[in-house]
Amino acid sequence: MKPMMKRIWWEQIKAVVRLEMKKTFFAKRGLWIYVVAALPVMLFIAFAMATSHQQAGRASIARQSERPLNHQDLLAVKPGMTNQEVISVLGKPPVSFQWTENRPAETEKAPSIEVLHEDYHYSDGQNDLFVDLVGGKVEQINIQQGNNLGQDSVMFAGVFQFFFLRLAVFFGCLGIFMNLFRGEILDRSLHFYFLAPIRREVLMAGKFLAGLLATCTIFVTSEILQTVAFLWHFSPSGRDLYLYHNHGLEHAAIYVGVTLLACVGYGAFFLVAGMLFRNPIIPAAAILIWEGINPFLPTVLKQFSVIYYLKSLCPVAIPTPPGMPPLMALLISTSDPVAAPIAVLGILVVALAALYVSSLQVRRMEINYTTE
Amino acid sequence: MNDRTVNGRMVNDRIIFEDVSKFYGEILGVNRVNLSIPPGITSLVGPNGSGKTTLMNLMTGLVKPTRGRIQVLDYKIDDPENLFRVLGYSTQFDAFPKGLTGFQFVYSYLRLSGRDSRSAERLAWRAIERVNLVEAAKRKVAGYSKGMRQRIRLAQALSHDPKVLVLDEPLNGLDPLARSEMIALFRSTAAAGCYVIISSHILHEVDVISDQVILLSNGYVVAEGQIQNVRSEIQEHPTQILIRCSRPRELAAKMFEYEHTIEVSIHKDERGLLLKTRDADRFYLALNELAVNGIEIESIAPADDDVLSVYEYLIGNEEAVR
Repeated sequence: MKPMMKRIWWEQIKAVVRLEMKKTFFAKRGLWIYVVAALPVMLFIAFAMATSHQQAGRASIARQSERPLNHQDLLAVKPGMTNQEVISVLGKPPVSFQWTENRPAETEKAPSIEVLHEDYHYSDGQNDLFVDLVGGKVEQINIQQGNNLGQDSVMFAGVFQFFFLRLAVFFGCLGIFMNLFRGEILDRSLHFYFLAPIRREVLMAGKFLAGLLATCTIFVTSEILQTVAFLWHFSPSGRDLYLYHNHGLEHAAIYVGVTLLACVGYGAFFLVAGMLFRNPIIPAAAILIWEGINPFLPTVLKQFSVIYYLKSLCPVAIPTPPGMPPLMALLISTSDPVAAPIAVLGILVVALAALYVSSLQVRRMEINYTTE
Repeated sequence: MNDRTVNGRMVNDRIIFEDVSKFYGEILGVNRVNLSIPPGITSLVGPNGSGKTTLMNLMTGLVKPTRGRIQVLDYKIDDPENLFRVLGYSTQFDAFPKGLTGFQFVYSYLRLSGRDSRSAERLAWRAIERVNLVEAAKRKVAGYSKGMRQRIRLAQALSHDPKVLVLDEPLNGLDPLARSEMIALFRSTAAAGCYVIISSHILHEVDVISDQVILLSNGYVVAEGQIQNVRSEIQEHPTQILIRCSRPRELAAKMFEYEHTIEVSIHKDERGLLLKTRDADRFYLALNELAVNGIEIESIAPADDDVLSVYEYLIGNEEAVR
């Protein structure tokens, strides 16, 4: 390939990207993609707000305690202790509530018995302790743990894998990449490109790159905002601990990388689907089902999907809750995971295969709007 | 016969269709087309659905032939990268990329060719000036009138100085002044040695500008070449000739003495006559003799070698378009 030719192709790709960017970013029919990308961010913002509210309540209760409490103090309360013993360990409860129960007598003639119920609420600023006393003795205790990075990062992983990757990025790529050619056929404006002295493969590469830039910008921004919202309610020291000592920064970078690879993989799939199918619902449903049944497929077939490699790359495994039906458990498990370099290579190979089919298809395309 | 040697290399200087057919499913687009189009203005003539646009789309690679071979000068139609460096096509598709101004439309096309921004800008303005659209160039194409859209498409097709200019119904939507400007533009382009292929269903329009015509009907080429040559080959219809002279009745009487004269009618102003002959060559010899013998001939003009008459003769009145 002559260097001059390569330079012209690159100039042409840039020209296609410039023309496409406005359409992909600001098309009215693509506004829903922003909504889909913003949904998990909203979810984490709502979660952060609710958690912050809870933390403020705990801090207020902790301040009202007679003395500063720690987690060990809260664990010292055991069932069967009297209210005086509880108060001697933790001090007078900052929040308490009591009521009397009229229990019917064992015999009809005897008078009913009055039983005193007391509820004490303590907090160490991070965790809550609810003590239920009946007749002056501890009958039940309930410790509600505050925000826990371990649990929260599993929740983040769940949202990332089951909503963000499988739905938001999937449908976002569908909306953008399927329209790169199909949208122009519907608008009857594809001939503008086909009348220019540009190789069809170069045109396809330019359009793919434009779609990739749009989806990566939208979904990587969403991913970063999700991480920021997720960490919002932690204290600065908690954030530092998570980011720099608990692989938080590494995980955040991996999530961004997985998002980029998802855009490449799904983008290539939907680019070729947009050329082969007139109705986007058919390929979307087919690919969604294919990706959905991936855990049940033999290993050989698994390799022809995007989610198989993406799941292998995700940094936090989602534990299977006890009692979950085996089929559901299989769905969320990362069965037969592959090593990260193979997973990255796998996605790139799958994407290149799809792009190769696109390049064959784009050479065959004709302008015949009346049959569309 | 279309190949010539330049610098020791064989080059083709025609637009060639070899046994080309195009079917859209079971619907015929064009069938068994054989053409060799020389430089100059060539008009594709035929009613709607006759295959004009299909022929143009085939020529530019927008559709692929079901059968046959097409070559535009030295380029194959499946090589857009090189083909569109020598070819500009103004289509009938009335849709544009969204949100572009007239200038951006032409400029973007030139950038797609790989030109740098300065060269693209210069060429875009030059093309826009050629179609007289400078004042509206910064407005969005979506707000253009039909005639302005037609002109901006023409500017796009012309912008890179193509050797071959393919124009699908280029005069549609233009006012009379713009039409004459565009016709002058086509003529100057053809005079510079370019190939200007125009489609039209308005026969009197192409009659005045075409160097050669291709008559189409129901997907078939029914005739091609210079219109006078096409006309002379239609033997079953007598040639009509309008003669302006001093003594039309005397000339009519003399003409009836010749066996090839079929019909003569005297013009209302008594200063001319319309004659139908089955042999134009023998008529002209006879007229020369009569002129020598004292009848003063002011002018002679064929009355039915225009595209409309030829089309009527070939296709029939019911299909001829006006």
